[in-house]
Amino acid sequence: MTKGVLGNDPFQRGAAPRTGEVKDDAAGAKTAKKSAASKGGKGAKPAGKAKSAKGGASKSGSGAQAKAPKASKAAEAKQTSAGPRTPAAKVHKFEARANGRGSAKHEHDAHPAGEEVSPLREPSTPGPADEARPRVLADEVHGSRPRERKVDRALTEAIASDAAEAAAKTAVDGLFEGHDGPEHDIERVLATELVAEVAESAVRQVLDEGNGDASEREVATAVATQVAEATAGVAVDEVMERNASDLEERALPSDEERDPRDLDEDAEAWPTGAWSRDPKDVPPAENSGDVWTADAWRRDPEGMAAPMDPDEDDLVTGVERVEENGVHISVSIIEGAAPTDVEPEVELPDESHDELPPSRRPLSLVSDPGEDPGLEEAGQGEASFDHPEEPAAPSGFAGRAAGMFSLAKEIAGQALASEGLGRAMGAMHGLMEAMRTSLGTGGGSRLDEYGKDAGLVESLQPVLDFLYEQYWRVSVEGVDQVPRGASILVANHSGALPYDGLVMAQALQRERPDLLESRWLVEDQVFHAPMLGTLFNRLGAVRASPENALRLLDEHRPLVVFPEGYQGASKPFAERYRLKRFGRGGFVKLALRTGAPIVPVAIVGAEETSPLLGRLPGGFLGFPSLPLTAPGPLPAKWTIRFGEPITMEGLAPESADDLGEVQRLTERTRESIQGMLQALLRERRSVFTG
Amino acid sequence: MRIAVTGANGDYGKLLLPRLEADPGVESILVLDTKEPPPISKVEFHRVDLTRYDAEAELTDALTERPVDALFHLAFLFGPILNGPLAHELEVIGTMNVLTAVGRARLPRLVVPSLTVTYGARGNNPALLREGSPLFGCPHSRFVNDKVEVEGQVRAFRERNPDTRTLVLRFAPLLGPSLDNPATRLLSHAVVPTLLGFDPLWQAIHEEDAGRALHLALRAEAAGEFNIVGRGVLPLSGLIRQAGAQPLPLPGPLFRGALRALGVVGASTLPVALLDYMHYSWVADGERAESALGFVPLHHVRDAASALRRSQS
Repeated sequence: MTKGVLGNDPFQRGAAPRTGEVKDDAAGAKTAKKSAASKGGKGAKPAGKAKSAKGGASKSGSGAQAKAPKASKAAEAKQTSAGPRTPAAKVHKFEARANGRGSAKHEHDAHPAGEEVSPLREPSTPGPADEARPRVLADEVHGSRPRERKVDRALTEAIASDAAEAAAKTAVDGLFEGHDGPEHDIERVLATELVAEVAESAVRQVLDEGNGDASEREVATAVATQVAEATAGVAVDEVMERNASDLEERALPSDEERDPRDLDEDAEAWPTGAWSRDPKDVPPAENSGDVWTADAWRRDPEGMAAPMDPDEDDLVTGVERVEENGVHISVSIIEGAAPTDVEPEVELPDESHDELPPSRRPLSLVSDPGEDPGLEEAGQGEASFDHPEEPAAPSGFAGRAAGMFSLAKEIAGQALASEGLGRAMGAMHGLMEAMRTSLGTGGGSRLDEYGKDAGLVESLQPVLDFLYEQYWRVSVEGVDQVPRGASILVANHSGALPYDGLVMAQALQRERPDLLESRWLVEDQVFHAPMLGTLFNRLGAVRASPENALRLLDEHRPLVVFPEGYQGASKPFAERYRLKRFGRGGFVKLALRTGAPIVPVAIVGAEETSPLLGRLPGGFLGFPSLPLTAPGPLPAKWTIRFGEPITMEGLAPESADDLGEVQRLTERTRESIQGMLQALLRERRSVFTG
Repeated sequence: MRIAVTGANGDYGKLLLPRLEADPGVESILVLDTKEPPPISKVEFHRVDLTRYDAEAELTDALTERPVDALFHLAFLFGPILNGPLAHELEVIGTMNVLTAVGRARLPRLVVPSLTVTYGARGNNPALLREGSPLFGCPHSRFVNDKVEVEGQVRAFRERNPDTRTLVLRFAPLLGPSLDNPATRLLSHAVVPTLLGFDPLWQAIHEEDAGRALHLALRAEAAGEFNIVGRGVLPLSGLIRQAGAQPLPLPGPLFRGALRALGVVGASTLPVALLDYMHYSWVADGERAESALGFVPLHHVRDAASALRRSQS
């Protein structure tokens, strides 16, 4: 039973040595199994599928009758096998088991495979056999009770090991031979996992439910083993159909190893295909269906499965693990599946956490999904498990792939639905657009005559938002002082890369939505730089020229200018925040001619965002020099402080020609900005946290 | 109202003549050309070859013989031709002949088309070029420089002949299914090379708008230069996409070299000078045409480009 499942599990290893001990060990075994099961959780599903595929060959129950005699043997086998099992890789495990113990299990396999031969066992067939079996089991169990102590432990372990081995091996072999192609490894692994899981689940449930009752446990384990075997057999059968020869070969060893008793019982049940014998000893949950039809068989596995925890998601199927308590595994056979494919269907209906609504279970054609819940409940008793449902796969591999795909799709969908990811995607899209734009292939059809592309700005907004709010944490002070209508915002230029204009535009757009959209003027060196200039132009930068400035002011826009020009953006880091010469006072002339007030603005943080560390010759690209700076913007905190506007009232437009007046206003603006800068720098405690 | 037209068989003529034909105010159309125009009831044909030495005398005779109310001087090329001297003869010398004849005949109205490319695509162009902006032309293009020279002649003529109402219509690149010029040829390729890292703003005007603008010039009360541009602007890449093609950004030197090599061989359909116009913007302000000429473009640049696509398919 557990073997297959637990092959590499600590529990199994531990179990072998314990053979001498009886109930107590069994209890321990249970827990161990559970843990193992949790591990194997992933495997559980596939296993279930395999079973179902086989037609619910569903005789698994038959194994339930504890085969006392066999137990001893099995125990031995187990011990021997224990060593080999340990290997971590399931595949390897299975192989190892197969090699080491394979013999013991083979008999079980042989029965299903050889005797029954029917690739698809129909649920109906098992029925009669099942009835017969249960009685036998019951008798045996009752009889065995007195000698529980002796037998049970050995029984459980032996059976478990045998079953697991047999199942694993059969499945592996069958699949192996069935698929010679590259897939074969995968198939083998899957089959082994399936078997192992089924067995595990069965064992666990039995143990859990048969509290303290040794016989019950043993029976349960036996059942589990049987189940495992059955599954394996089913898998094998399918495979065997392909290769008859292979089946025969396996059958031989299996017979040898098997206990006489088991053989007899199994023989009866198996031929008919009714593996599902329910041990009466088994707790009510499992016992609920004494007569094992295909459905019953299905239930049984479910019940067994219940205790197990699928903690690990099935890699292949993506099944979620469930809590130990209420796991229901339903195995259904899919009719119409290609004979070659082994399709185990595991339904783990999770009442509480069901991801897929019942209506969505496509799973088993044979089994009735509706039955599962009831059956499971009965079997579980106190335990309540969450069962993730697995959609049935139409064909073994493809099915699993489909299941995995659908699950992935669902996860992806949910993730996409989440706001964060949506924004991330939007940002990515925006960045891609920006990249294309800067390369000159962006297209764009919503440009104004200055070249600002509203579409690009929109798609880049998530990025800008992130930069503004979270990366640079721009704090804006005194923005209320910006007058409505045309105004000239004079700011210090800073940083090797002129982010400041963009941030200013963003700040105005956010803090003063009542103003018209602002534009910022950039010097020719930036505006005509390949890529950078194109991108900035699309984002709203306007080449600095009197014509453009006048036109923008005529439109009553706030106009951001950086009178330092390229010098300001190219000053070494050591001279940061020290204002350069303010051009030739062009902005003052503008203000005088248009009457627009001048608003001094101090920006702190831009210097540290892209410190100028050096310069590279860049003439070949159209730059006077290439700034050597940080590879990306650094997360310095930005502060933008708007100063008191300098109005042009009382000054005639003609005074624009008065160089003295222009000079005076220029100095005044410059001092205002320098003063605010120094105040901000004094207030700043840290470059990055402000 | 009687009208004379030179170059009636060119693209401008094809756009204008049907409108004049449909205009009830137009009594007759005197076509001065080397080829007979398509038969239209109002047309009178007078053969004149503007590139001949006696063109001016021919024109003067024709215009004094049959006085007209307006002359459309439409005998212009839309793109450079291999025979540069011939182009120069036609555009510059031809215009000189026409201007002289018009001055002698004292015609009340003269309409001359030009192109906004005469502003030149320069880095320090303002965002919108008004009519008063200097015409820098394109240093590498004989074609564009000829146009600039023609403009200079016309401006000089206008100053010397204030009685003749002279209108210069500077058209943005004309796009339309029936046109063949460097812009349409450029956009007709499936893949259009562009300059890596640059994406200047382009304007264009739909051929219908162009025809309408020419027709409006017949009765406009204003004189001087007018930028005739379509609505809106598009980046070059957007224009290319709208025309159903794909932009392919190439590094400048590579592109320029390839184009020049092709031009030397004579295999290139694209003038090298076009590179300048792929580098910098030269966006003209159509505001004056709207206020003074009454010309409001009906077609957005997008429409002009996609009309091109429809015509190709």
